[in-house]
Amino acid sequence: MIDKKWETCVKCGLCRSVCPVFREEKKEQYVARGHITLVEEFLKGNIDFSSKKAKEYLGKCLLCTACVEACPNKAETDLAMIFARIKNTQEYGIPFYKRILSLVMKNRKTMDLSAKTVNLLHNILFVQHLETPRESISPRIGSKLIERKRLLLPVVGETFLERYPSHIEGKNGRIAVFPGCGVNYAYREIGDAFIRICKKLNIEVLIPKEQACCGGPLYFSGLIDTPVKLAKKNIDLFNALDVDFVVVIDPTCASTMKFEYERLFSYIEDGEYLEKAKRFSGLVISSEKYLHDHTPLKELLRKTEIKERTVTYHDPCHLGRAQKVKQEPRALLSAISGVKFVEMKDADTCCGNAGSFSVDFRETSLKIGLKKAESIMETDADTVATGCCGCIMQVAEALHIKGRDDIKVKHTLEIIDEALK
Amino acid sequence: MKNKMLKQLTEIVGKKNVSADKIDLLHYAYDATQSTYLPDFVVFPENTEQISHLLELCTEYRMPVVPRGAGTGFSGGSLPISGGVCLSMEKMNRILEIDTENLTACVEAGVINYDLQQEAERLGLFYPPDPSSYKYCTVGGNVAENAGGPRAVKYGVTKNYVLGMELVFPTGEIVISGSKNMKDVAGYNLKDLMIGSEGTLAVITKLFLKLIPLPPYRSVLQAIFSDMREAARTVSSIIANRIIPSALEFIDGPCIRAVEDYLHIGLPEEAQAMLIIECDGRKESVEAELSLIEEVCKKNNAQYVKMAKDKEEEEFLWRARRSISPSLNRIRDGKLNEDVVVPRASLPEMIESTQRISKKYNLPIVNFGHAGDGNIHTNIMFKKKSEEEKRARDAMREIFETVIRMGGSISGEHGIGITKQDFLEKQLGKESIEIFRKIKRALDPNNILNPHKMKL
Repeated sequence: MIDKKWETCVKCGLCRSVCPVFREEKKEQYVARGHITLVEEFLKGNIDFSSKKAKEYLGKCLLCTACVEACPNKAETDLAMIFARIKNTQEYGIPFYKRILSLVMKNRKTMDLSAKTVNLLHNILFVQHLETPRESISPRIGSKLIERKRLLLPVVGETFLERYPSHIEGKNGRIAVFPGCGVNYAYREIGDAFIRICKKLNIEVLIPKEQACCGGPLYFSGLIDTPVKLAKKNIDLFNALDVDFVVVIDPTCASTMKFEYERLFSYIEDGEYLEKAKRFSGLVISSEKYLHDHTPLKELLRKTEIKERTVTYHDPCHLGRAQKVKQEPRALLSAISGVKFVEMKDADTCCGNAGSFSVDFRETSLKIGLKKAESIMETDADTVATGCCGCIMQVAEALHIKGRDDIKVKHTLEIIDEALK
Repeated sequence: MKNKMLKQLTEIVGKKNVSADKIDLLHYAYDATQSTYLPDFVVFPENTEQISHLLELCTEYRMPVVPRGAGTGFSGGSLPISGGVCLSMEKMNRILEIDTENLTACVEAGVINYDLQQEAERLGLFYPPDPSSYKYCTVGGNVAENAGGPRAVKYGVTKNYVLGMELVFPTGEIVISGSKNMKDVAGYNLKDLMIGSEGTLAVITKLFLKLIPLPPYRSVLQAIFSDMREAARTVSSIIANRIIPSALEFIDGPCIRAVEDYLHIGLPEEAQAMLIIECDGRKESVEAELSLIEEVCKKNNAQYVKMAKDKEEEEFLWRARRSISPSLNRIRDGKLNEDVVVPRASLPEMIESTQRISKKYNLPIVNFGHAGDGNIHTNIMFKKKSEEEKRARDAMREIFETVIRMGGSISGEHGIGITKQDFLEKQLGKESIEIFRKIKRALDPNNILNPHKMKL
């Protein structure tokens, strides 16, 4: 059973003023009030999702939850959309490429193998870009899914989980680390930065090798079976450890594990795992919040210095809105001497990546991304910090398109790490 | 016939700007009243000529046309209650000109009120009308409903800023009424007839608006009362003291608690009423006015009076105020949202009457709104699909009767639409309604424009 927490919508229309997709599309079909109507009418049996149009309306939501945050009645449009996507998937299946992804993500071995293959073929399949706001690759041959010029994240040869031992000694606290696939396979340097920070702070770190993909991308697309398997695996693995926290670097994984697992087990009415998910939720914490609240990092940073730079910050939806971690990364960055921190306009507005949204609705995704780039450019910052691999990739490409390769895109942890060196 | 008409509509606005698919129609079937009426088509014209052709076509087919801005109205003005074409103005959303020498703006009707305000402010100018939905409602809709807002107490309502407009009549004629001029008495003042006509006489496509210099300074004060009547008396007393703040908003206890539950900003939950008072102008005069207001509040037993520390605190207070209407859902899932207005001095009596009516019908009635101009949002809360529904309607009838007896009006800014049409005759008399019908017949002989609203 699902608690339909979107039924509180009173159709006032306020969501029209905050939805990034609506800002581009200007149609009621692309805003929370419309999405909720879509789901309500589906539940009443007035429509189904068989048509191409229906699938587009269902898919063209970032799940950024800007509407939920602004809604006076906290109508959970994201829940309505995920629920409807599950119904749609059960009835009509998912696109071919997502089916392949789901097979790959099912277990660590197939993921590792796929990543290694891509890494080996890097030079054949992709062009490398070092001058872009972030090191990127772009396919030599475009396809229907990924156009030729699109900047993507590079894939590493040695993954984060392969690189580090399963146990790093330390005296100040004991944590388990969940890097997330983006950090494990692509931007590993972010994970490297985190490990160096932990070593500096003398924190005991466990890196369980059996950890599975969080399942988020599949669940957000409306799949249920594989995410349930992955969720159970992670819950069992981490709940059995004796740690203070499970520190998650990628915020999408963090918010999936912290909030969506409970929704998932409520939905399939698995009371046993719902309870386990609740306990797990209490352990999950983002790396920024962990370092800010539970270590003396901020004080340490006050004594450090880096080469003078102007930094602005973009809030990833799954970190800022979902986990309410907004002030922590800002406080850490501002503590570093040499960092001049400037706020950008609409810092917490979605960058438009939203995973497969950027594949399925590339044009809209880019338009939203370019708005973000403009906000960044208005600040005159030379560095934009953020906390999510998807955001990094999107913001870097948007800045590149704007001709601003000089503005570098960094993860908050990387700037902290640099200051500690 | 439907297919033929769809083909012709497509010829006028293009394939991407028209739909007859149920899934699209469902998205244009509702507004903030939460009622649903399915149109037969939804179209998104991109210019005035398209609208003119479209109206000619609809006249030929005797097909109803219902203009729609953002669908945020509270009286059902944009609901296609007898089907037909939903004419969405969403794509006509350009600010065409801000004339910094003549202090005017020219905009398409689908422009968002907030976008115009932002653009004006950037140039040191000010467009005062600010309905609570200003961040997402359209200027065209504001004009059609003659919307007000908190600033109306000092700056007046939408009509005070409309210099002219471009109109398309149901038979296709494109007419410009009024102009950029500050004065213009050439011919019948059609534009003033259109303001507040709720889309029943013509489609408003373009607007010439008056802008004023942006006041250099503004400050907000918050006063808390343990007795609602004392807050109401304070409002009348401020006006009687010859002070006109730029906003003078009243919020009763239950509203404070509903908003606090939503925003958690530390509003005193035990309070029975709160006033938000804003003054703008030159710094010295704002400060002098506010300190006088503070005195008046204290004389009327305000528990405490507090100035907003900074812009952020001001914005928070306003956000709280604007969030009341939608957050009332937390009290009961159903509400009859009225926007009655009484002569300003009668406000305390009005508030007391709603309390009496609340007791009589055993239903929560909450009050908030633009007390400074006598316009109060009286919300009768009830449980949907229960016997409370009928009682709520009876309570509403009694409130309307009370208001009319006091020389007030059943609507200050939301309009009549479908929600209040049964009470219109009571307030205005049979003769007025008959004159309305004559005007309607003259301008819209086939009654295709937004039919069955305002008893037309």
